[in-house]
Amino acid sequence: MSAALNKRPFDGGRAAYLALNGALLVFLLAPIAIVVVFALNPVPYISFPPIGVTLRWFEKFFAGSDFMNALWLSLWTASCVLVLSILIGGACALALDRGNLPGRAVATSFFMSPLMLPAILTGLALFQSYLLIGIGRPVWGLILAHTLIAVPYVLRTTLAVLHNFDRRIEEAAAVLGANPTRVFSEVTLPLIRPGVFAGGVFAFIVSFDQFPVSLFLVQPKAETLPVVLFNYMKFDLDGAIAAASMVSILLALSVVLALERLIGLKAYVKL
Amino acid sequence: MISRRSALRTGAGFAAAATLAAPSILHAQTKTLKITTWGGKWGDIMKATVLPAFEKEFKCTVSADQSFPFLPKLQASPKNDPLYDVFHTNSNEQWSAVGEGLVMDKITVKEVPNVADVYPYAVSDKVVGISIFTSAIGLGYRTDKGLAKPTSWKDLADPKLAGSRGGYIIPVNSLGQCHLMMLGKVYGKGLQDLDAAYKALEALKPIKLVDFTGQMEKMLLSGEVSMGVIHDSGIYRYDGQNQPVDFAGPSEGVMALEQVLNVTPSSKVKELAFAYIDYMLRPDVQKVLAEGVWYSPSNKKVKLDAKYDAKLYTTEAKVAQLIQPDWKWYNARKEDIDARVTKLLKG
Repeated sequence: MSAALNKRPFDGGRAAYLALNGALLVFLLAPIAIVVVFALNPVPYISFPPIGVTLRWFEKFFAGSDFMNALWLSLWTASCVLVLSILIGGACALALDRGNLPGRAVATSFFMSPLMLPAILTGLALFQSYLLIGIGRPVWGLILAHTLIAVPYVLRTTLAVLHNFDRRIEEAAAVLGANPTRVFSEVTLPLIRPGVFAGGVFAFIVSFDQFPVSLFLVQPKAETLPVVLFNYMKFDLDGAIAAASMVSILLALSVVLALERLIGLKAYVKL
Repeated sequence: MISRRSALRTGAGFAAAATLAAPSILHAQTKTLKITTWGGKWGDIMKATVLPAFEKEFKCTVSADQSFPFLPKLQASPKNDPLYDVFHTNSNEQWSAVGEGLVMDKITVKEVPNVADVYPYAVSDKVVGISIFTSAIGLGYRTDKGLAKPTSWKDLADPKLAGSRGGYIIPVNSLGQCHLMMLGKVYGKGLQDLDAAYKALEALKPIKLVDFTGQMEKMLLSGEVSMGVIHDSGIYRYDGQNQPVDFAGPSEGVMALEQVLNVTPSSKVKELAFAYIDYMLRPDVQKVLAEGVWYSPSNKKVKLDAKYDAKLYTTEAKVAQLIQPDWKWYNARKEDIDARVTKLLKG
C-alpha cells in the first residue's frame, strides 16, 4: 500500500525541465569532449572515432618554447590582473555603495562600460593610445588593458554582496568600541570577501583567455597563449592546439578550486 | 715614466670618453629592425637560422612580429613612426597598404641589388614591393578515393564531389579570392568576369569552407575533403610522410600566391630594411627557405635540390604558368564581392 502511495505520478513539467538541463549540459560540455578526443588522438586532425591514444601533442606543447613562454606570460598577466582588479574593483564597489557619491548610477555605468564595448575596439584604441604616447607595447600595458576589462567583474560581484550586507553588524562593532579601520578589516572585509574573490576568479579567467584585446597589445616574443594558439592554428592545425586548450582548462579549473579551498566561494554562491 | 697620478688621470679620461661615447656606440650596435613574418615552419626556420645570421652580419636585432593582423596594426600606428620597417604579407594586403601610403610603391635594384636576379613576376606591375617567393594555387586531392588527377578547375565541380569539395570563406582568405577570380576566367570572359564567377561558385555547393589553408590541409589529410583549393606548398610539405594527397596545377593556369616584402616610407632604419630584403633574396637564404617550406624562390640563380626543383616553379617556362591577380582591381570591389559571396554561400 505504501509503495503504491509513494509512487509519484508522471510529471511532464519536471521531465521537460530535466531534459532541458541535460541538453544544456551536453551543449556546454560537448566542445570540451571534442577537445579531449583531439588532444589524445594520434592523427594531426579532428577525427572520430579516434584511432588510438597518445600524449605526443602534450609533449609537443610542453616542449615548445613558444608555447611555454606564452603560457607563463599568460599566467603572470592573469595573476597580476587578479590582484589589480580585486584592489581596484573592490575599492570602487565600496566607494559606490558607501560613498554617497553624486551620480552614483552614472559612475557605476562608467566603470561597467568596458564590458559594453567590443573588446577588439578596446584593444585597438589602447594600442593606438600607447603608440601615440610613445610607450610601445610593454607587458605592463597589456596587464593594464586586461585589468580594464576585468574590473567590472569584481565590481559587479562585490556590489552584489554589499547590496545584501547587513550594516547593523558594522554598527554593532563600532558600538563595542572598534575604530573604523578595525571595523573594516575585521567585519566588512571578511563579509565581502567571497564576492571580491569570486570576481577575482572571473578576472583571472577573463585575462587568461583574453584574445581580442591581447591581439593588438602583445609584442614580438612576448605573446600570450591565446594569441600564440591563434597564430599557430593558421599554419599548423594539429593536436597541440587541443593539448594547449586542455592545459588551459585544467589551469583555470585549478585556480577556481584553489580559491574555493582558500576562501570558500560556496559562501558567495549561497547569497 | 708614468706617475701613478698621471696614470689615474689618463684612465679617468678614457673612462669618461668611453662613457660619453657609449650611448652612440650602443645605439649603432643595437639598431632594431621591426618586421612582420609568418609562423609555422617558416617562422621556425627564420628564428633558428635566417634571422640570427642576419643579426650577426648586420649587427642589429630583429623584432619579428608573427601575430596577425599585420595591416590593421600598421594602419593604427603613427605614419611618421610606423610599427614595422619591413612589411611581409601576401600581395592583396600590400595593395591595400600602398593605397594608404603605408608602404613603398616599388623596390628597385638601386635599393636592393639582388632585384636584378629575380623573375619578372616578382617585380611586375601586379606586385607592390617585391615578391621574394611564390606558391601556386591549384587543386589538392586525395589519391585514395579513386579520383583522376584533376587537369582543369572545372574538375572541382564534378557532381561526385558534392559535399567533399573544399573552398574558403572568401572575405577573409586570399586563396578563396583567387579561386573566385579563376572561376571568372574558366567559366566566363576572364579573371574580372564576376557574374560568371558567382554563377560557377554557386554551382559548387555543397562545398566545405574554411578560414585558413592549414585547415584545408587537415581536411584533405583527414579525408573530410576529397578535392580542394590549396597552394602547392600546403600539399608538398607532407612529402615523404606517406599521406594520400597530391597537388595538381590545372591546365587553365595556377594563381600566384606571392610572399611580398616592402618597406614603410617613414622607417627610421630604411637602409637596414633594404639590406634585409636584399638578404632574403640571396640564393643561399632563398634555398634554405624554399626547401624548408616548399615555396618557389624568386631569385633565378637559386639551385634547388632535384626533388624540389622538379615540383617548384624554378624556370622561366614554369613561372610563365603563374597568373597574378590584379589586387588593386579586386580590393576596389571587395565589399561588394564579400556581400555577394556571403549571400551565395550562406548555409
